[in-house]
Amino acid sequence: MSIQIPDLLSPISPTWCPGCGNFSILTALKKALIELDLELKDLVVLFGIGCSGNMADFIKVNGFHALHGRAIANAIGIKLANHRLKVIVTGGDGDLYGEGFNHLLAAARGNHDISVFVHNNERYSLTTGQASPASKKGTVGKSTPQGVIEEAINPLALAISANASFVARAFAAQLQELVEMMKEAILHEGFSLIDILQPCPSFNKVQDNKWYLEHTRALKADYDLSNQEMAIKQVLKKGPIELGLFYRDQERPAYHQELAQLKNKSLVEQFPFKQDLNLGINDFV
Amino acid sequence: MEKIELNWKIAGKAGDGVMLAAKFFAKLCQHQGLKVFNYYEYPSLIKGGHQTGQVFASSEAAHCQRLHLDLLFLFHPKFLDFHLDALDEELLVLINSSNFDHSQYPQLKAKVISIPFSQLARQKVGDPLTANMMAIAASAKFFAFDLTKLTDLIKKEFVDKKKIIAKNLLAIDLACDYLDQSLSNSLIECRTKTLKIDQSRKKDLLLTANEAVGLGAIAAGLQFFSAYPMTPATGLLHYLAAQQAAYPIVVKHSEDEIAAINQALGASFAGVRAMTGTSGGGYALMVEATSLAGVAELPLVILEAMRPGPGTGLPTWSSQADLNFIIHAGHGDFPKVVFTPGTALEHYELSKLAFYIAEKHQLPVFILSDKYILESQQSMPQPDLLIDNQRLSLLDTVKTGSIEEKYLRYKDTETGISPRAIPGLNKEVYLANSYEHDQEGFATEESMIAKQAMDKRLRKIETMLPELPKPAVFGAPVKEADKILISFGSTINVLQELLRLLDDKEIAKPAIIHLPCVAPFLTKDFEELFDWHKINEGRQEIYTVEGTATAQLAQVLKANSRLRKIKSLLRYDGRPFYAEDLLQWLVSAKISEIYQIK
Repeated sequence: MSIQIPDLLSPISPTWCPGCGNFSILTALKKALIELDLELKDLVVLFGIGCSGNMADFIKVNGFHALHGRAIANAIGIKLANHRLKVIVTGGDGDLYGEGFNHLLAAARGNHDISVFVHNNERYSLTTGQASPASKKGTVGKSTPQGVIEEAINPLALAISANASFVARAFAAQLQELVEMMKEAILHEGFSLIDILQPCPSFNKVQDNKWYLEHTRALKADYDLSNQEMAIKQVLKKGPIELGLFYRDQERPAYHQELAQLKNKSLVEQFPFKQDLNLGINDFV
Repeated sequence: MEKIELNWKIAGKAGDGVMLAAKFFAKLCQHQGLKVFNYYEYPSLIKGGHQTGQVFASSEAAHCQRLHLDLLFLFHPKFLDFHLDALDEELLVLINSSNFDHSQYPQLKAKVISIPFSQLARQKVGDPLTANMMAIAASAKFFAFDLTKLTDLIKKEFVDKKKIIAKNLLAIDLACDYLDQSLSNSLIECRTKTLKIDQSRKKDLLLTANEAVGLGAIAAGLQFFSAYPMTPATGLLHYLAAQQAAYPIVVKHSEDEIAAINQALGASFAGVRAMTGTSGGGYALMVEATSLAGVAELPLVILEAMRPGPGTGLPTWSSQADLNFIIHAGHGDFPKVVFTPGTALEHYELSKLAFYIAEKHQLPVFILSDKYILESQQSMPQPDLLIDNQRLSLLDTVKTGSIEEKYLRYKDTETGISPRAIPGLNKEVYLANSYEHDQEGFATEESMIAKQAMDKRLRKIETMLPELPKPAVFGAPVKEADKILISFGSTINVLQELLRLLDDKEIAKPAIIHLPCVAPFLTKDFEELFDWHKINEGRQEIYTVEGTATAQLAQVLKANSRLRKIKSLLRYDGRPFYAEDLLQWLVSAKISEIYQIK
């Protein structure tokens, strides 16, 4: 039976600030899960540490509220142990682009079949608004009173160059577009990344909803999303921030699909209730 | 059967094929029906340096390497300088050289024969690397081994590589011809050992403790292993990676140690038995996730393969100095288990037990061992090869009362163990949480709920105590001995050899206590070993024998038992203890300055 609205209901209400982009991202995620033909038991959602990670308490699913930066590594282990599960990672830009970026690149290189949704508000908000790796050069915060010296990272360019097979950008307030993008990402067999632009009304006063509406536009309808080289050029372009699916490779097999031992059954279905050590001792006799 | 003992050593540069040669020679000894210990020393580089393989084989028991040798094969004459301590008149040294200048070593009592194997290998085989096989052939002739076994070994090792097999077989023939024609007299004079093969002996396995841990893991139903290579734990990674062809296992070489342990925890959450392995520096990166395993109550087995620190330390040498680090690793209070196996067999058995304890009690279990035993090969009796496994503490296997009852993943129970649902297999869903959480798994900051959750987890310590391996006693009874030696981990191999050496001596044997589990500490079982009257009157001398500089084991004993007066015999230069040195210490109360008494 597919997922129904009451299934996802947690006893705890969200504690985010009024106007926070996390509300719409949570709504979009729930909508996407309900609209896809999934069983609740076959879904695992991992959460990072930060405001967005607190979503773990606001949705009733098989969840894993990870350590800061490490949810992608946990997700890979989950997927390899039982590749029949749909595995989604949701976390902030500090968590996934800062503390744990190495894991994101490794997951992209391996084309692990997990979906990574980054709540990108360009701030560490739960620790009261320090600059994140996604913050623009010059961003002033309590830890960078003279302004950030580093340039902001370009997560999409990095992911595409690491051979991620599904790379997209969305805006939290455009709910229906976000739902559709999430559904596509979850159904994609391989690594998918959606960089979700999100206002932080408490610690990023400049980039509010109005700012995002003025500074973003959709990718052109005739954009060729199968060309990796063009996709990198497209995401490096200066000017308005473009939203949409920049790159998709549907040919590349997912990591677990390349493992012979997972061809017929998932790992967890093959628990060795009877184990024969004759092959294991072959080199020792 | 007469008592047979032989000591053989080979030394060369990295790239000479020393390790393969030693492995082959150890195998030949195994096939002669002997017990074997094969100890390697090597520097952290790929070409050059000085590395050795050293085989002690015995018809009785081979617990560890021995000091005095019967046959030493040197790839390069200059390496003689490294081995002068071990040379006596009964030793034969074979040197891979066309001539050897005896005048440089006027004090040398050992007989030295030069054999130009590399030259022969280069000119007649066309591959100087086959000189190592010539060394094995010469050694086999010296000990009168059956050479057909060597041929079999080569065919098995290089299966599908016909050219390499042909080259090595040719090398053996050439070496034998050379020995027969040029050196028969001198070699026969030196031949001190003739072996009668005991075919009736029950089969042993010859394996490293890394491999024993891997075999135990497979026996226990390991299915996911993620790791980042680090000496001396890499042997486990390599063994398990190769087993993917035979068993339903996924081995993931991860991008770093943090990923490795977190991937293993993910796999554990998804219901498979999972493990990671590393050395001290790599484990330092895993500490935070160990604490996650504690709070989220995820089963995990961790091999921590000790080498000397601090920092990068001595990468290819041995140490026991991560003892306190591992016992205390992880922020916050949570239950964990630290096994410290000694022999290869104990590594196999405790590896199996580690998975059982981890899954049943839903917590991290360490196998804390060291380079010395993890990378040495040791004989162990072949275990039962057909194993039955059960799943433990899962929701399906535990009675949960009425079906309508709400599923509480972290239900507060008398044992502290709560039934675990597996995503995808159970219809019940739950949140595994790195935050403190209520019984359902949701984060909480309520004071009573936080206390209750902590108490529940810590209650598991009491529950598991009866299932943990107790202190083992060897030698004289603890209550009667004048001297009591206490060790953990690999040191027991040397202490058991010490007891064997004492068999022929007039000196009273010490009592030896080996601790296979250091956390939780089995205080009651440990204290019951002693006559506290005698201890309190100071009538017995108590020493820890350990590979640390700060007497860490003595600190553990003082923290967990009533023992107060403990001295320590320490070694922390990366090398193992030698039974001969300990014997001298017992006899004369003197010991080389390589050791320290505290």
